[in-house]
Amino acid sequence: MTNASPEALLALSNVNTFYGQAQVHFDLSISVARGHIVCLLGGNASGKSTTMKIILGLVKPRSGEVTFDGASLVGLTTPQIVRRGIASVPEARRLFAEMSVRENILMGAFVRNDREAIAQDLDRMLTLFPKLGQRLSQRAGSLSGGEQQMVAMARALMSRPRMIVMDEPTMGLSPLYVDRVLELIRTINQEGVSVFMVEQNASLALEIAHEAYVLQTGKIVLSGPARALKDDPRVRDAYLGGSEAA
Amino acid sequence: MSSWLDYTINGLIVGNVYALVAVGLALIFGVSRLINFAQGSIYLVGAYIGWVAVVQLHTPLPLTIIVVAAAAALVGLIIERFGLRPLQNSVRIAPLLATIGISFVLDQLVMLTFSPNPRALPSQLPDVRFQVGGGTIGPLDLLIAGVGITSALLLFVFLRYSKLGWAVRAASQDRDAAMQMGVDVNRVNQAVFGIAAALGGVSGMLVGMYYNQIDTAMSLQATLKGVVAEVVGGAGNVPGAVVGSLLLGLVESYGVAVFGTSYRNLFAFLLLVVVLVLRPNGLFASARQAPPEPLTGTFIAPSRPVRIPRWALAVAAAIFAILPLFPVSFYVLQTLINAWLLGMLALSLTLVAGTIGQVSLGHAALLAIGAYTSALLSLTFAVPVGLAIIGGGLMSAALGTTLISPSFRLRGHYVSIATLAIGEIVSLVILNWESVTRGPIGISGIPPLSLFGYDLISPTSIYWFSLSVMVVLALLQGRLLTSHLGRSFRAIRDDDIAARAYGLSLNRYKSLAFIFGGFAAGISGGIAAHLYSYINHETFNTQQSILALTVVILGGLGNVVGAILGSVALVGLPEMFRIAAEYRILIYGIVLLLLVRFRPQGLLGTI
Repeated sequence: MTNASPEALLALSNVNTFYGQAQVHFDLSISVARGHIVCLLGGNASGKSTTMKIILGLVKPRSGEVTFDGASLVGLTTPQIVRRGIASVPEARRLFAEMSVRENILMGAFVRNDREAIAQDLDRMLTLFPKLGQRLSQRAGSLSGGEQQMVAMARALMSRPRMIVMDEPTMGLSPLYVDRVLELIRTINQEGVSVFMVEQNASLALEIAHEAYVLQTGKIVLSGPARALKDDPRVRDAYLGGSEAA
Repeated sequence: MSSWLDYTINGLIVGNVYALVAVGLALIFGVSRLINFAQGSIYLVGAYIGWVAVVQLHTPLPLTIIVVAAAAALVGLIIERFGLRPLQNSVRIAPLLATIGISFVLDQLVMLTFSPNPRALPSQLPDVRFQVGGGTIGPLDLLIAGVGITSALLLFVFLRYSKLGWAVRAASQDRDAAMQMGVDVNRVNQAVFGIAAALGGVSGMLVGMYYNQIDTAMSLQATLKGVVAEVVGGAGNVPGAVVGSLLLGLVESYGVAVFGTSYRNLFAFLLLVVVLVLRPNGLFASARQAPPEPLTGTFIAPSRPVRIPRWALAVAAAIFAILPLFPVSFYVLQTLINAWLLGMLALSLTLVAGTIGQVSLGHAALLAIGAYTSALLSLTFAVPVGLAIIGGGLMSAALGTTLISPSFRLRGHYVSIATLAIGEIVSLVILNWESVTRGPIGISGIPPLSLFGYDLISPTSIYWFSLSVMVVLALLQGRLLTSHLGRSFRAIRDDDIAARAYGLSLNRYKSLAFIFGGFAAGISGGIAAHLYSYINHETFNTQQSILALTVVILGGLGNVVGAILGSVALVGLPEMFRIAAEYRILIYGIVLLLLVRFRPQGLLGTI
C-alpha cells in the first residue's frame, strides 16, 4: 500500500468509516501527489463516493487521518475544507437548477472576495468552455447532461482550487462528451490543479491518470502508476469480482 | 363596506399581511424543507411587542416598526440556534415537532405575560378614508401595502444581489452542493430565520392595528393562513407565496361578502385541500406530483421498543381495575377517566402517525365527529346511548377516512398540513351547519352514559366503563400490529415506494388504518359527549390534537402501551402536582421539546 509521501498534497491514512453498524472503509490509505491526477476505481458499493465525502467533510471517519497540504482536515466543516483549496465536482453534477448558468459558475467563487479577478476568471472559463458562452443566462436545469458537466467543472475551477475532487465525471454522458471531459481534466491538471477522481470506467480513467487505486468493498486491493495498471488483468478481476471478460 | 371594490381592496390588504407570514415560511421551507409551525407565534410576539411600544413606550410609528422587526428577528434567531440547530442530524420529524413545541411555549408565555384578554392596538394614523373609484381606502391600508411592497423589494434585492442572498438560494436548491461551494449552511439558516421572523412580527403588528385588537388566539390562525398561502403558491417558492397570499386574501374576502364572516376560514382551508390534492406542488409548479421528499423512510426515530412482559401488563390492568374498590377520591377517578378517554384518542393517533407514518395534526376532528354523531343519535333519534356511541365510532371511521382519503397520495409534512386543514374544516362545518349541529350554540342536554338501560352516573361505573372500552381497543390494536396487516402498515411507513413495489395498495392500507383509528377516536368522542352533556364546535380543538400527538411521542410512536402510559402521564402528572391550567399547555410544549431533543423514540420506544 502506498504510504503518504512528503510531497503528497492530500493523504488519507488508515481511515475507517461506518454507516451505523456497517463498515464502509477498512484502513483506507490513499495519497495524491502535488500536480497529479489520481483515480479511484471500483464497482458499485465499493465505498468510492464515501471516500469523496470523507475528503469533503460530508461524512466523518470513525478513525484515521486526512491531511491536505500537511494540515489535518478531520473535524473541519465542509465550507472550511473548501476554503483550504479543495473544490468538488459532485456526482450527477448537482447544479443549482433554478439559477442561471452564470450564477452557477459564480457560486463557485463563493469563498473569494476579489471581484475583478472573479470577473476575469469567468471570462477564462468561457474560453475553456466556449459552449457555455451562449448559455450564460439560461436556467442551469435546462442544459443537457454534458453541458451541465461543463458548468460543474467551471464552477469548481472558479474557487481557484489547489485540488479538485470529482465523483464520476463521465457518468451518464454521451461518448462525445466523455472524451471532451477527459481532455478538459487533463488541461485543468496541466494548469497546476491536482485532481482526485472517482470512476467506474477504468479504461478511460487510466488513460489520463498518473496513479490509480482499486477499491473493493472498502479495501484497497491494488494501486500503482496508471500505466502499469492499464494492462494489469487484476484490475478487471478486482472490478468484476471474478474472471468475466469485460 | 359595500362595493366589490371594497372587498377587493380588503382582500389585497389582508393578502399582503398573509404574504409577510408566508414569505418567511417559504424561505424556511426552501432552505430546511421544514414547515415552521412557530411562525404564527412570532407573529403573535410581534403584535404584543408592537402593543408595548405603542401603548406603553409611545414610540412613533416608524420606530415601532423597526423595534418590532428587530425584536422578532431576535426571537427567530434564538429559535433557530437553540430549538432547531441541535436537531440537524435528527430524524426528519424532529424539527417539525420542535416548531410545534416552540409555538406552544411562546404562545403560553405571551398569554401568561399579557393575559388572554384582547387588547387594543391603535395605529396612530389619522382616521380618514379616501374615495377610490367606487371604494374607499385609508392610511392604514396604504401603510400595509407599503410595508408589503417594500419588504418584497428588499427581499428581492437581498436574494438577487447579496452574497448571503445567493447562498440562501443555492442552499435552497441543493444544500450539499452549496456546502461544497463553501456556503456555511448554519449562517444561511440564521439569515432565513431572522428575516422570516422580522417579516412575521411586523405582519402581526399590522394585523393588530388593522383590527385594532390583538389576542393570543391570533397565533395558530396566522400559522394556518401562512401555510395555506405558502402551499398554494408552492412550498419553498418565495414569489409563489406572495401570489398565494393575495389569492387567499381575495378568496376569503369575496367568500365573506357572499356567505358571511363565519365562512372566512372555511374558504382558506378548502382552497388548501383542493390545491394539495390537485397540485401538491402549488399552483405555479409544472409537475403535478409532490416532489420526491426526503421525508419518508427515516421520518420516525428507529428504536428497539422496551419489552414489557405480559404478566406485568395484566397486573397493571388489574390494579387499575380494582382501584375504585379502595378509598380513592372522586378527583382521582375523574382524572383517570380523562386519561382513559385521551388514551383512546392516543391509540388512534399512534396507529395512524406511528404505525403507518401519517402524522396527523387534526385528530381532534375525529373526536368531534364521534361526539356529535353520538349526541345527535341519542337526542334526536332516541337511540340508546351505548349504541349511539358505537354509531359515533362508525361515523368517525367512515367520515374521517373519506375526508382524509384525498390526501393519501401526499407524504411527510404535506400529510400533516392536510390533516390540520381537514380538522379545521370539520370544526368550521360544525360551526356553520346550524340545521344539524346547532352551530355556535352547541348541543346541550346530552343524555348521560348508560348501558343496557342502566345509567352510568357514579364515577366508579364511568371509570370502569371507560377503562374497559380502552382496554378492549388496546387489545384489538395489539392484535392488529402483530398480524400481517400491522407489518404492511409498517412497511408503508418505512418505505412507501418499496411497499408499493411489493404490491401493497397504499390507499387500501391507509384507509384501513384510518378506519380503525377513526373508530377508536370516535368512541372516545362519543363517551366524552355523554360525559360532558354539552359540546360545541370548540370542545375538540387543535390543542387536543397536539396534546394527543405529544402523548403519542412521549409513549413512543406506534406503541400501544406507550400511548396509554403517555396519556396517564400527561393527564395525571399535572393533576398530581396541582399545576394550574394555564401552565399546562406550557408544560406540554416543553415536554414535547425535551422529548424531541433527548428521546425522540419516546419512553417505551417506537414499534
